[in-house]
Amino acid sequence: MMLSCHDLGWSARGTPIVRDVSLAIREGETFGLVGPNGSGKSTLLRLMAGLLEPSQGGVRLKGASLASMPRRSVAQALAFVEQHAESGERITVRDAVELGRTAWLSPLQPWTAGDDAIVARALGDADMTGMEARFWHTLSGGERQRVHLARALAQQPEILLLDEPTNHLDIQHQLAILGLVRQLPITTVIALHDLNQALGCDRLGVMHGGRLVALGPPDEVLTVPVLRDIFGVAASFLIDPADGSRIIRFHPAS
Amino acid sequence: MTLASAGKPRASRLALSGRAALAALLLVAAVCAGAAIGETSIPLPVIAKALANRIFAAGYPLDAIDEGIVWNYRLTRAIVAACCGAALAVSGVVLQALLRNALADPYILGISAGASTGAVTVAITGLGAGAISLSLGAFAGAVLAFLLVAVLARAAGGGVSVQATGQIILAGIAGSQLFNALTSFIITKSANAEQARGIMFWLLGNLSGVRWHDVRLAVPVAILGVAVCIWHRRALDAFTFGSDSAASLGIPVRQVQILLVGTSALMTAVMVSMVGSIGFVGLVIPHATRFLVGVRHARLLPASALMGSVFLVGADIASRTAIDGQVLPIGVITALVGAPGFALILIRGRRGR
Repeated sequence: MMLSCHDLGWSARGTPIVRDVSLAIREGETFGLVGPNGSGKSTLLRLMAGLLEPSQGGVRLKGASLASMPRRSVAQALAFVEQHAESGERITVRDAVELGRTAWLSPLQPWTAGDDAIVARALGDADMTGMEARFWHTLSGGERQRVHLARALAQQPEILLLDEPTNHLDIQHQLAILGLVRQLPITTVIALHDLNQALGCDRLGVMHGGRLVALGPPDEVLTVPVLRDIFGVAASFLIDPADGSRIIRFHPAS
Repeated sequence: MTLASAGKPRASRLALSGRAALAALLLVAAVCAGAAIGETSIPLPVIAKALANRIFAAGYPLDAIDEGIVWNYRLTRAIVAACCGAALAVSGVVLQALLRNALADPYILGISAGASTGAVTVAITGLGAGAISLSLGAFAGAVLAFLLVAVLARAAGGGVSVQATGQIILAGIAGSQLFNALTSFIITKSANAEQARGIMFWLLGNLSGVRWHDVRLAVPVAILGVAVCIWHRRALDAFTFGSDSAASLGIPVRQVQILLVGTSALMTAVMVSMVGSIGFVGLVIPHATRFLVGVRHARLLPASALMGSVFLVGADIASRTAIDGQVLPIGVITALVGAPGFALILIRGRRGR
């Protein structure tokens, strides 16, 4: 078990945002988090990344309590890609990706050729090779997201947490990012809005009102009653004649 | 591959020592210029001999007045100016990185104003005595001012860590005004006319009273403070995308923020307690340096320290020579250069967004 939460809860000024979430992420799986706006997906991810302090329960990373681990050890095992991380600095793509090595370098350790190789591979994996010298402010939204992903990969994590990485991207880049994430040989937890895209995950967790209300393989979790009760839509399932996979078509709830 | 990977660090280490030597040379040249140029200009050989006499007891026959001017007056001034420039510039770099705000610097955020209030309180009400307690008073004032500004910014919805850039600057302006008013209040209420005149002159930035005991405080504080910041260069880089991103990159955010803001406040406070609050160095030097060496702190911090030192030694020379027979407060010179620089950053910052 890579990452697990037990009875996890977090409140903002007395209002519970996440409550009683117990969840175990398995090694190597792609785990999708879905749920309507405000259901607590982002907060749960931030709790699992150790960026928020739980008000109840806790998170365990590879068996150890996340709260008691030094940030540096956490970062060597777990990387987090936020939704909108921006910078006004004149940094290049290479600078941004090199930041991923921070957790592996102590103040006296020099940058080595090994770090260069890891950064080059991360850039390649995120399909950003050749863009190293571009400045951050000249990049499109999709390119920025790929740089964030490359930075997370340069961290060489065993677990990657992604908060709606396809938000605001055009369809081509959405599919490219998701395809890339699925190919990665690491454990991934990914918050998604598009339920058809979520069908491609190994397992899904459905959040509603801060609680984890369903958990399991996509076909078992995204059922007509769940879509009606949680997401407030009617749905029919279709088979794509191209490859035989299921897709969901949504209708307004009557 | 093994050859290439073995060759690269060695080459960069060589380049590093080369750059360090060049930096040291520039610094020494600036300090020597500071000692040579003035109302009566003293030729460089005389300066070299005066230094040799004092440091190695070389026994060159020299005019005692010249030697005294060089050793007790101009050299101390130049060294303290260099320390002060380095400390303020590095404080600016650190605050800009941690607050992710291009306009952050110890002067604008009210840290200098708080340090002035603290120092004036100690000087006039006589809490303790001597240079150390003056610096301590300044440090207490500086920390208090920063906390107040941070709390105010957070209450106004900006927060220290959030992207909203305006609030902390507005809070800084409010804080500066408050602490400047407090300083004036304390001076008016408690100081006699002569004290008041001296303090007013000092508040604008004044290196005239600087002697060797100031050097003994300024040099270690500047070197230690700059070293602490350089030690955290990678942590400062990690704040590029905000504090959450820094945390996920493995930085203990709260700990680093407290340590580095504290270091900046301490450096600023010690410098303010000696030479008064000098504006714009912490703002303009980091930006000029970024323009030259880029945004990565491994280069930006040492380069800013060097630029700040050289700039402030130059500003001190200008303040002594601009008007015949009169010394301008150094803050006047830095503001004359800094205010247009500030305007330029505002305009460029707007275009960048």
